[in-house]
Amino acid sequence: MTRSTKRAVRDAALGAFWLWFGVRLLNDWFGGVIVPEGQPFFDPQPVADAATALRETAAGLGVLGTPLGWLANGIGSLSFAMTYLPDLAAGAWLTVVLTVLATIFGLMLAVPLAAARVYGRVTHWVALGFIELIRGTPLLAQLFVLYFALPLSRWFAAVPYVGTGIVPAQAVWVAVVGFTINSAAYQAEYIRGSIEGIDPGQLTAARSIGLSRIQGIRHVVLPQALRLAIPSWTNELVYLTKYSSLAAFITVGELFHAARAAAYQNYRFLDLFLLAAVVYLALVLSATTTMEWVRRRVAIPGVGGSGGGRMSTE
Amino acid sequence: MTDELLDVDDVHQSYGEEKVLEGISFEMDSQDVKVLVGPSGSGKSTMLRCINRLTDIDDGDIRLDGESIYAMDENDLRRQVGMVFQDFNLFAHLSALENVTLGLKRVRGMGEKAAVEKAAWQLEAVGLREQANSYPAELSGGQQQRVGIARALAMDPKLMLFDEPTSALDPELIGEVLEVMRELAEEGMTMLVVTHEMGFARQAATDVLFLEDGKLVEQGPPNQLFENPERDRTRDFLGRLTSLHGSQ
Repeated sequence: MTRSTKRAVRDAALGAFWLWFGVRLLNDWFGGVIVPEGQPFFDPQPVADAATALRETAAGLGVLGTPLGWLANGIGSLSFAMTYLPDLAAGAWLTVVLTVLATIFGLMLAVPLAAARVYGRVTHWVALGFIELIRGTPLLAQLFVLYFALPLSRWFAAVPYVGTGIVPAQAVWVAVVGFTINSAAYQAEYIRGSIEGIDPGQLTAARSIGLSRIQGIRHVVLPQALRLAIPSWTNELVYLTKYSSLAAFITVGELFHAARAAAYQNYRFLDLFLLAAVVYLALVLSATTTMEWVRRRVAIPGVGGSGGGRMSTE
Repeated sequence: MTDELLDVDDVHQSYGEEKVLEGISFEMDSQDVKVLVGPSGSGKSTMLRCINRLTDIDDGDIRLDGESIYAMDENDLRRQVGMVFQDFNLFAHLSALENVTLGLKRVRGMGEKAAVEKAAWQLEAVGLREQANSYPAELSGGQQQRVGIARALAMDPKLMLFDEPTSALDPELIGEVLEVMRELAEEGMTMLVVTHEMGFARQAATDVLFLEDGKLVEQGPPNQLFENPERDRTRDFLGRLTSLHGSQ
């Protein structure tokens, strides 16, 4: 396949996913506009019946029926997905909320942390201590401390609208805080690396025309460092999408939690986790595709790998 | 108190144990063009960096318009003293025009329109009107260095420091940069230039200063220094430089 064909296939698949995801969420948020909340858009029963019928035909054909049996299994999986995907939609939404908010807030913390790490004196040690503490302890332990040991969730519960309508409940906000702190530490290291990749002569030149150190960092170093950091920063988005499943352990009903809850009903754990994995894949591909688009949008000749296509998203 | 533009008074500087400058004194009047020459490691670049306080001195004083630069706000001092670097040090994410406007907007507080107008004029003065919207990576070394000169000039400095402005350039690109510097000297800019380009020194310099091992060995008008140096060491060094870099 050529590059553009691959891209078209990927875009079509992601487009289909987001069309379903968007319609699904709107339908459920507004109390079942098209179909009742949580019900499939199309009845999976005829598909399941077709799979059963095909399987019986295949069994009658003996060895020759094997390929037909595979087809029957595929159609059976489709009816399974049609039945249970609605249960995963709300969870996938929380996964998106957690990941996007934590990445953005994490970036806001990471930029000053990275700058302090490179340019600070006292702040260098503060930033270093924070980064090593957070990177050196398990994310799950951090979430437990925030959720069970600190009164964070009580504070969030007292905020108006939390847990009502489409505003997520307090546990989600505690998870956002946890992932923000964790992600900030990792993002700070990515950004530190790219700050150190900028020729210090540019900061000297900025100082030589009368810009203060802070202005030089703000207007000369960071615009370049952040562009350089985009590929590794995309990695962080990918990791976080999947690590956000740890929020399930502090009662957040995200994608993994939703798949597990559905599996407790029918004991088809493997099937549901595979279905969740497909949804994770769609989310991760969406993230990398978006970031590749951003990278191209902000590319400047001579700054980072702006020649195009250095970071593969296929 | 003197009325010189720049008064370098018995400056000592060291990096740790290593003494770099050992009592340098010289003065510059307005419109002077002085060329600093000397073997590598003699302290020429350090001398320049002391004048805009990119490097601190251990002892002595440097005065600009009679005022000690250590009594001035360092950002204000740097606005008045332009600097051009060997490696250009252009801001890689900004176009040629934006390289010039950044200081105008952030240091001199000019509005977007006024800054762009001034920057465009400044780029035209160094012959880069066509390249205003190009990024540094899209420019040749000579063009990049001319942007570097425009960036410094735009701040309307009283004094321009050039730190080996042509040393990183391919030979065929040196001329265009020296040409800009020569014009600048003719227009009356006060310039202190570290360079090995003896042709430029002969033509444009009011004085040549010969530095060795952190000491000012000899100084004088180019003719005197090139034709009748007082010291053999000066004659040897300048003779060798001229045979290497004298063509321009």
